[in-house]
Amino acid sequence: MARPVFGRTSAAEEAGRSRVTHLDRDKALVEAARRDPAAFEPLYRRYLAQVYSYAYYELGDHHDAEDATERTFLLALTHLPRFEERARPADGEGASTFRVWLFRIARNVVANQRRTRRRRPEAPLESAAVVRDPLDVERRATERAEVAEAWAAVGRLPADRRRALVLRFVDEMSTAEIAGVLGRSEGAVRVLIHRALRSVARDLGGPRR
Amino acid sequence: MLRPDRLEADALLTDHYLDALLAARDRRADDAPVDAGLDAAVHFAARRLSDDLDRVHPSFRFEERLALRLAEAAGRLRLGLAAGAESAAVPTGPGQDDDLDPAGDGFADPDGPGPFPRPLIIGGAMASAALSIAGAAYVAWRRGRPPVSPMARAVRAAGQARLAREGAHGPRSLD
Repeated sequence: MARPVFGRTSAAEEAGRSRVTHLDRDKALVEAARRDPAAFEPLYRRYLAQVYSYAYYELGDHHDAEDATERTFLLALTHLPRFEERARPADGEGASTFRVWLFRIARNVVANQRRTRRRRPEAPLESAAVVRDPLDVERRATERAEVAEAWAAVGRLPADRRRALVLRFVDEMSTAEIAGVLGRSEGAVRVLIHRALRSVARDLGGPRR
Repeated sequence: MLRPDRLEADALLTDHYLDALLAARDRRADDAPVDAGLDAAVHFAARRLSDDLDRVHPSFRFEERLALRLAEAAGRLRLGLAAGAESAAVPTGPGQDDDLDPAGDGFADPDGPGPFPRPLIIGGAMASAALSIAGAAYVAWRRGRPPVSPMARAVRAAGQARLAREGAHGPRSLD
């Protein structure tokens, strides 16, 4: 398996190196699933919503997202013997995790699906709007409009910026993890997200610098 | 246009704020402490996206159906492993080479120009082979066909005379 590129770390990044250690959290589950494929289920349950959300935000359709999610997990299960857990603190850059590996599979599956089906992402969030108080119809409608507006702004971004924002905000990945998924350096991902946020702010009529 | 070092410093500040914002979201807090140097536009957009981009859950039916499918696949893999194979054949989807690393860059290029690069190469090779066959057929046909113009007839007659001379005297020595 190709080593995910986590990029070179600067002095400032050294301080955040300890973040990599928490990425080891799947190690025991991965080793169990390697010994017995039936033990893959806890990994599946842990990451189902994250992978599905990523696919949904990328493909804009529940059925397509289900197809992509199914393929991602089947590929992960069958190729698990090839996965190498490298997320030890001593590894620093070059670290790899199951989640990063899984999302690299998801990224590839989604890319193949998008190209074979020739579909572009559209504003998909009608059903994903948060309903904090189902009785407050007016507020709910406003929230749905705001969600749709936010997603439309994200959807207009170039693909790499959009992916980075979805991985950061929806899947709550660290910059190091996103760098591993997208195959870029951490510095490049930080700039990508910073620029993406400025674009979204402009689009939503936010304050200028 | 920002200078690169300034851009990287701003991006680092944004990154730290996002770490704090996402941690605050986990604690159900409204916002995270904001550094005075943080770009106001970035702060605004990050707050909006933190509020509005939520994780989407699949249906329970889908979740359980896929869990069952994975359990079946795991059962086949387990049988394969018991039989000594490194892995067992589990159908993962149509039209994909199972030997490819699904997490590798060769599996798909998210920003690539289009699908099926390999068939294009194969298609190109087939096209060039087809052109070669067509070319050879054309030359054979032209040689067997009587010349049309007087000039062509003269050229062909000269060529045949030269071949006849070489046939009578043998090939010219290079010495």
